[in-house]
Amino acid sequence: MAKADDGAFWSIIAYLISGLVFWGGAGAIADHFFHTHILFLVGMLVGMSAGLWLIWLRFIRQ
Amino acid sequence: MLVLLRNSGEGFEPPSSADFVFKPIFGDSIFFTKPVFLVALSVILISTFFILSARKAAVVPSKMQFAGEAVYGFVRNTIGREVIGPEFMRFVPFLFTVFVFVLTNNIFGVVPLLQFPTMSRIGFPIGITLVSYVVYHWVAIGKHGFFKYMKDIMFMPGIPKPVYLILTPVEIATYFITRPLTLAMRLFANMFAGHLLLLIFTLGGEYLLTSGLLMKFLSLFSFSFAVGLSFFELGIQFLQAYIFTLLTALYIAGALADEH
Repeated sequence: MAKADDGAFWSIIAYLISGLVFWGGAGAIADHFFHTHILFLVGMLVGMSAGLWLIWLRFIRQ
Repeated sequence: MLVLLRNSGEGFEPPSSADFVFKPIFGDSIFFTKPVFLVALSVILISTFFILSARKAAVVPSKMQFAGEAVYGFVRNTIGREVIGPEFMRFVPFLFTVFVFVLTNNIFGVVPLLQFPTMSRIGFPIGITLVSYVVYHWVAIGKHGFFKYMKDIMFMPGIPKPVYLILTPVEIATYFITRPLTLAMRLFANMFAGHLLLLIFTLGGEYLLTSGLLMKFLSLFSFSFAVGLSFFELGIQFLQAYIFTLLTALYIAGALADEH
């Protein structure tokens, strides 16, 4: 079981990082174009929830 | 201790990332530096060891054969068979090579005289990661076909359609960017940090030796810490080689699985 847990642990980290970086990055770029400051935060929150949702779908629902 | 050091005249120069940059041993090509020679040495050591241990294979194994088979058996049984499942034998040679290569190069970090973990130069982990990246995507595309594989990654069953807009980019980023990135970074960062830690205690001890009598006495602690940490590092080096191979196996297993 330890092996599956290890794999799950690193996959979870990978999902969280990708969610934050992708949607946070998208928000930062949008901020740059629209001259706002809130979209970066919104993007990170969206990314975080997307990552958490995927983790739930992959590791908890099954 | 740092304050004492700062007050004791000439400054102590703490180790930095500059300690990981080597001048070419001869000539001025970047291909003749210490890490490159260590990799070459590791290849020679590994092949010699396993050729010798397998050459006179017998039913009643010699000590050498026993040691070689123990390593092979560890990778085949605990990583290959348990993680990948029925098709595992196809991937055992690859996993075994990765494990032994990374392990040997990591252990160079605590071998006297060599004392440099090759994997603390980021180029080497990136190289191995690229190989394993190509392998696990190749396996998946070979098994499912390119379009079904992409579809499996991008569209998870059982969620409302508009949500795909948010989740699909994250999935793609995870599979194609974050996974290989974390694979390489973890190995690199662990080896880098470990080597830096050992450098701090050895160089610190060395510096203390050049100071006053009390400092000479304190250097004993610094050196004994360096020795203790070397054993600790040995554990980390083994663990990182194991994790790297294990995750490669898990990604291959994920590629072979029917649904993602």
